[in-house]
This record gives sequence, structure tokens and C-alpha cells, in this order.
Amino acid sequence: MKERLRALDTSLLWPMVLLVVMGLLTVYSAGRGTNQPHIWAKQAVWTLLGFALMAFLAGVNPRRIFRSGLFLYALGILALVAVLVAGQRIGGAQRWLGFKGLTFQPSEVMKWITLLFVAHRLGTRQPQDLSGWDLVQTSALVFFPMLLVLKQPDLGMAISFLPILALVPVIKGVRAKWVALTLALVCAGGVFAWHKVLKPYQKQRVMTFLDPGADLKGKGYQINQSRIAIGAGGLTGQGFTAGSQTQLNFLPVKTTDFVFSVWAEERGFLGVLMALSLFGLVLTRILDTAVAARSASETYFCVGAAGIIALHLLVNVGMVIGVLPNKGIVLPFFSAGGSSTLSYFLGLGVVMGVRHRAQVK
Amino acid sequence: MEIVNRHLIHRRIAVMKTVVYCMILGLVLAYGWVQLGLRREMQRLAFSQAVKTRTVPAPRGIIYDRNGNKIVDNRRALHLVIQSEDLPRDPAQVEALAAALQMEPETLRKRIQAIRQAAGNRMLVLQDNLDDPALARAEILRARFPFLSIEVAPRRVYLGQDLAGHALGYVGEVTPEELAKNPETYQLGEIIGRSGFEASRNDRLRGVDGQRRSLVDNLGREVAVFGQVEARPGRSVYLTLDAGLQQVMKEAFGANSGAGVVIDLRDGGILAMYSAPSYDPNIFLNRLTQEQVEKYWGNPDRPMLDRVTQGRYPPGSTFKLLVALAALERGLITPETRFTCYGHKVFYNRDFRCDATHGTVDLVQAIAKSCDIYFYELGMKLDVDDIHAAAEKYGLISPTGVDLPHEAASRVPSREWKRRVKKEKWYAGETISVSIGQGANSITPIALARFYAMLATGGKLLTPHLLYGVRPDDNRPMELFTPPPPKDTGLDPRIRAILDEGLFQVVQSGTAKDSAIPGLTMVGKTGTSQVTTFVNRAHYATLAKKLRDNALFAGYAPRENPQIAFAVVAENAGFGASNAAPIAKKLCQYWFIDRLKKPLPPPSAKIPDEFRTDGEGGEEP
Repeated sequence: MKERLRALDTSLLWPMVLLVVMGLLTVYSAGRGTNQPHIWAKQAVWTLLGFALMAFLAGVNPRRIFRSGLFLYALGILALVAVLVAGQRIGGAQRWLGFKGLTFQPSEVMKWITLLFVAHRLGTRQPQDLSGWDLVQTSALVFFPMLLVLKQPDLGMAISFLPILALVPVIKGVRAKWVALTLALVCAGGVFAWHKVLKPYQKQRVMTFLDPGADLKGKGYQINQSRIAIGAGGLTGQGFTAGSQTQLNFLPVKTTDFVFSVWAEERGFLGVLMALSLFGLVLTRILDTAVAARSASETYFCVGAAGIIALHLLVNVGMVIGVLPNKGIVLPFFSAGGSSTLSYFLGLGVVMGVRHRAQVK
Repeated sequence: MEIVNRHLIHRRIAVMKTVVYCMILGLVLAYGWVQLGLRREMQRLAFSQAVKTRTVPAPRGIIYDRNGNKIVDNRRALHLVIQSEDLPRDPAQVEALAAALQMEPETLRKRIQAIRQAAGNRMLVLQDNLDDPALARAEILRARFPFLSIEVAPRRVYLGQDLAGHALGYVGEVTPEELAKNPETYQLGEIIGRSGFEASRNDRLRGVDGQRRSLVDNLGREVAVFGQVEARPGRSVYLTLDAGLQQVMKEAFGANSGAGVVIDLRDGGILAMYSAPSYDPNIFLNRLTQEQVEKYWGNPDRPMLDRVTQGRYPPGSTFKLLVALAALERGLITPETRFTCYGHKVFYNRDFRCDATHGTVDLVQAIAKSCDIYFYELGMKLDVDDIHAAAEKYGLISPTGVDLPHEAASRVPSREWKRRVKKEKWYAGETISVSIGQGANSITPIALARFYAMLATGGKLLTPHLLYGVRPDDNRPMELFTPPPPKDTGLDPRIRAILDEGLFQVVQSGTAKDSAIPGLTMVGKTGTSQVTTFVNRAHYATLAKKLRDNALFAGYAPRENPQIAFAVVAENAGFGASNAAPIAKKLCQYWFIDRLKKPLPPPSAKIPDEFRTDGEGGEEP
């Protein structure tokens, strides 16, 4: 036990703890007066479970975890298929597996498993030995679960698989032809997605993003209310549990997607600076761990982990203020939700394991 | 891993770090811009959607009769409304709402536009007076259209239903036209008196709307109220009406059309006034169906017409008193002047008939027996302009000034009138008809009643009125209304005594002797007038063959010490003595005898409990 606790990386732990505490306070404030006033308590339980899981993983040699990558990957694919076949449908999307009143969202964990598996595959070979075909295979390993998630449909979650592909330029470097190829692929993919993959509500979101003022009472309502909340926060905020946008329910989905708006309204720009700084510390520490890692797989995993967290941060925090489209993507450590909370602790547990091994040796 | 690769990868990770920092910096800049740069704007938006100012409609004043019996009350009713701050801007939403309410989208759009342009915080009432099923439907609508709200507003209850429909009038929402004419006075959506006393004394009955500032959530539900300006209810008003006498009059008319009015000779207060067919003002509180509009406004019986102040009838023989007065005043006759009645007589080459052959009669007998020949003779002596001047002088022509809207002026013809209106000169023969109250004579029941009140009081022209007193607020007693002082016409007491004797004989031995009340000397003059100029021509055209005469009776009681004057018209009822006089008899019977023994119960006793409220209304239930 002591060994496990010692394995926790305090430089990563403390900013995390602070973020989690801020998140819990925000969820408490957001849940007041809604039909789920005790959501903060539930979230606290998930957080504690998360810390326990993280402490456990931090003490495990990442190698042992990497070895079960294929098995976990196969299991994850099965779970995603199961979601599509027998999942619970909530609000028009089939994303959850239910078991005795508990619901579980496999896609949250699956992105970490995919990262684990891909990092492992790429890490077992020298970078210069990786052929173009290998990269295509790796991309396929990422795209397959992504497509399953898209099918649910859950565009936000599917997008959070993309940072795993950021490994490729890190390993192979950035070349002009790759950039050109990627851009071409993205454009083609975008056109394809617009016509064949995107659901009308998703297209609507894109349109809303491009012109949020056009439909203030309809689809643009969420973003508009969120911007009002953030702006009304000013420098120092309206005060804890005192944001009118939050407390009077003008702010939509305020315990998950728009939780950061609650923080911004009640704690102001200073609070936002604090949160973003802490996220900066977390990301810095993860990338430092990537450098310190003993093996290539470990490095790759850390890079991917930083990518996933950075993407969530960018998309969620950018979305609630209206600079990025309304995606339905959660903010790590802030948004309430069991599966996502556990999955971040899981991912960071592995990162801590990498750190621990690098220091021990 | 080779050192070179490792080094390269570490460099790329460093680049990635920089990318992450740039990203965070970008977010910081974006938040800085919104939270520091747009702070005021965003705080204003947050405030404006969370803090709403709403109008609290003030209840109108309660109306009592002269004895303090409540006859018009308020109760709380629920309305489905859109507050002006919540008016939908999205055309699709307006369309959907119109569909849900089964309204024309264009109508809804126009009404929304009107509220939007109006000053202050008005609300658009979509459905009023919601009953339980309607309330349930409204709640469902509210879930779909969060900008809808359900507001409590006071609503009128007329306890006596059609007991005094025309006297009380009814209320309704102010129209855009009225609003445009009086932008200072009215507010959009205000409930104002549309007719009757409700309209004429609207200024006293209307309250001052209050305002409530409250914190609302995203569904428009009030979370907290801060700052409330209480609505000031309209003042309680007492009418000169006596609910019991009113009830007697209503029952006396039964199904007969017509009008009756009783005036208090002390001050001109109207003790009872009834226009038949009457209406129930409660009906007009709701949005009317086409059928109802047709029933009330397209009806040939014209129930919306207040016959007391707007119905003009040929006065028939009730007019003879004025003709006698004019002739006596000018010294053309004395009380002893006699004429002989053979049942008919030729004047200006035309044969004029009398109801009977009265033989030689003096003035008193002529009045008592209602001998037309006697008054034809007076018509020969008098010029029409003399009759007109006397009518003017004794208050038969100009409106009485009653506190009811749109009082009609009566008409007694003159040369000038004929030249102006008919573009013809006056023929002396016409004066013959005028002298028995036919011809172009056309007089409102209230003017007729005032004329007889003038005879009763020895020449005082009273101003008939309904306002008895006003209670400034609930804690203070009623303040009596002071009517305008009566105008003295300077009626010669000797002439008055002769006319009084004539009227006495009418009931004592003349045409109305069947209506005499033992122990009470009611005096008055019967009249039976051919229907010629009454407003309801369309109806009569269809019934032309069955045209029956209007029956009239006007007078005062008791003779020795007159306290009330009255006029009764029973339309198409035939002979005045047998149809109008009995109504007057019932009125006097109640007022002077039955009322003192056992007054009728006040109207509120007849109203089912669910219609009654004891509070003033307006506040939250």
C-alpha cells in the first residue's frame, strides 16, 4: 500500500486534486435546485474510486499493462458492438451499457485502451522501421472504434480518439507531403462526413457555430446562454452558488458539457486563469513524463494521454465560450459522469506508473 | 531506442508542449475578451432575462346598491398570457403557437406587435378566465412554449346577472382605437367600462395597476419577488339603485320589451332603471362567439340598446301635460276652458279621432279621460314653436345629463327643426298631432320621468344620476356624491296645482283608475302611442300588420308629498292604462309599502357560491 502511494506522482497529483475539488464545487453549485441535487455526492464517490484506481495502476509496471493491450482492445471493441446492439438509448443516442441500474459508457475507456494498444504496437519497433503501411494499420486501429462510436452517435467522443493519431507526427516528424496528404484527407473526409455521416442535428451544430446569432432561441441558445454566463462572471465572478445564469437554469447541461461556464460565471476570469494554469501544469507534467519514460511505448502513451486531455480541454472550454462548435464533449476533472471520471484516472494512473518506473530505475 | 531518435522525439514533444501552451493562451485570451471586454453587455443580458417586471392588474371598484348590497364584485381568474418581455421573436414559434391555440397566425402576429409597441409592461392575454380543463391545457402549452405564463387577474362578477344590465353596463379590453385616442389615459390591455355605469364612471372604478419585479428561471417561473408596487384597487362605488325595486321592475316587465325608470325626487338619484330585454354583463367578459355577437347585436329586439336613456318613443298622451302647461302659461286657456268632444273633429280638412266621445270637458277632465279633442283644440291655439319652447324650458328636449354614456336627446319638433332636417316648411295641421304627443315627438323615458319629476317638485329640473357615493378606501366611510343643484324652471304653482289635480283624477276616476293603490295616492298620465319613429324599424317592417301601440305611464307618488317620479314604456303592449300603469303600480306598491315591511333579498343571495369572492382580488391566491 505504501509502495503504491509512493508511486503517485505528486507533481501531477496536486494539480489534479485541485482541479477535482474545483470540479466538485462547481458540480455542487450546478446541481442545486435541479432534479439531481446530489449529483456532486455521486461525483465525489466516482472521484474517490478514480483515485483508488489511479493509485493501483501507478504501482503496476506499465509493461504488464501494455502486454494485455490486445486483449483489452478486443474486449473494448466487443463492448462497443454490444452498445450498438443492446445499449441503452438516452436522448436519441445509444451510448450506454446498463447493468442493475448502473450505466457504463464503454467509449470513455475505449479511447484509453486504443491509445494503450496503439502506443504498444508502435513502441515495439524502431521509428525508422515503421513503414507507411504500418501507419495505415495503426490508423485503422484508431478509426475502427471511432466509427463504432460515431454510429451511436457520439461525435464528440469520436473526435477524442483523434489525438491518438497525433503520435504519428511525433514519431515520424512533420513533412510537407504528410501535411498536404492529411489536409487532403481531412477535406475529403469532411465532405464525405457532411453528406453521409453527420446527422442533421450535428450539421445544425456546425451551422450554429458558423452563425450563432442566427438562432438565439433555438440551437444557438445553449452557446448564447453560456457566453452570457461566462461574460457575466467578469473578473472575480458572481460568487459561489450565486451565478444567476447557473442558478436560474438558463445555462443548459450545466453539470457536464457546460460545467466550465458555471465555474467561469461564479469564479470569474481569475478562476478561469487558475483552472487553465492547473490544466497547463497537468499537461506539462504528462509531457515531461513522456520524455522521462523508459520505453518508446510509454513515451507514446504519455504523448497520447496529453493529446486526449488537451483536446478535451480545447474543445470543451472553447465550445462553451463559442469559439468552437457545440460538440457535446466533457471537460476532464470537472464534468460529472462516472465513466469519464474513471477513464481519466485510469489513463493518468498509467502515466504515473510510467513516471514511477522511470524514477525507480 | 537509438539516441538520435530519442532526441528527435523529445524535440517533437517540446514542440507539442509549445502547441499546448499556445492553445491555453488562446483560451485565456478568449475568456479575457468575453469576461473583461464584454462583461457589461453580458451582465446586462443576464440581468434582463432573469429579472422581469410584470404588471399586477388592479381590480375595479366594487359596486353596491344604495343599501350597501353588493351587486358587482370581483373574483380572481387565471389567464394564459405572454408578458411583454417574453414576446416570441421567432416567426416559427408564433406560427406554432397560433396553430396550438387555433388562431389565425396573422391575428396573433398583430396582437404581439401591438404589445411590443405599447409603453410599459403589458401582457398579451391569449385565453382568459381559465377553468380547470383549460388550465390543464394551458400548462401543457407552457411546457412547449416557455414564454407563456399564467397570471392571476381580477374578473368582474355581476351578481344580479341581467338585473340591471344596462344601468351597470359591462367591461372589456380597451380597443386599439380608444387607445390611440387617449394614450395618456389608457394602457394597452386595460379592462375598461364599455357601456353603462362601468363606462361613464370608469375613472372612479378603475384602479391603478401595480408592478412586481421578480427573479425568474429559464421557464419563466418566479423564483423570488423583490420590489412590488401593490395594485391599487378601484374605489368602491354605491349606486342610487335599490336592488329590491330593480328586482320588482324586472319582474314586472317579464318578457315584455320596454323601459322603466324611477327617480328619487330629493336629489334625482335613479332608484331603479330597467331596459327590457336586458342582458347579463357576465356574458361579455368572455370572448364572444359569432352566435353570441349575432344574438346580442344582430337581434331585432335590440337587447344592447339602453331604452331608458337611448330609446326614443312618441310620448303619446303623457305629452298632453306639457301642452296644457304651455297653453296655461301663455294664458290661451284657463282651467275652466271647456271644449266639446264628439269623438272626432275636422281640423284643416282632416278628420281627427278621439278614443271616445267625452262630451264637454274642462282641462282636468280632459287630462283624466285623456280626451284628444281637447288637446287638438289646444294645438289650434298654440304654435308648434310655443310647444317646443315649453318642452325646452321644462326639460323635455335636451339630454338629462344622467351619468350614463350616449344619452339620446329627445325631440319635440319646431319650425326650425323641420326646415333643418326635413327641408320643408311647417304645416299648421301637424301641430294637431304634436299636441297629443304623436307626430315627430320622440322622447326618452328618462326625459319623460324628469318632466314628471319637475311637475312633482313644483318646477325643479333634477339631474338623474346613478352615482350615490364613493368610498375612498376600505377604511373610510362612503362619501356622498353631490349631484348638480336642480334648476328652477319657475313653474307657476297655480298651474302646477291644476296639472296635479288632472293627474290625480287619472288614477282616481280616469284612464288608470284600475291601478290605484289603496292608502297611497299615486298620480300619473297614461299614454298609448302609435309606433312610428321608434328605432327598431327593421323589426317592425317585418311585422308591419301586427304593429301594436306602445303603452306608457308617467307620474309621481305620493301626491301629498311626492318622493318618486317614474316613467314606464311597454313596447307594443297596447293600451297604456292596462299595460304600463300596472307596472308603475307594482313599483309604488313595493317602494312605499312592501319594502318597508319586508325588503327583497339582495342579489348576491341568488348567486351560486363558486361565483362569489369576498376578497378584493388581484393578489396571489
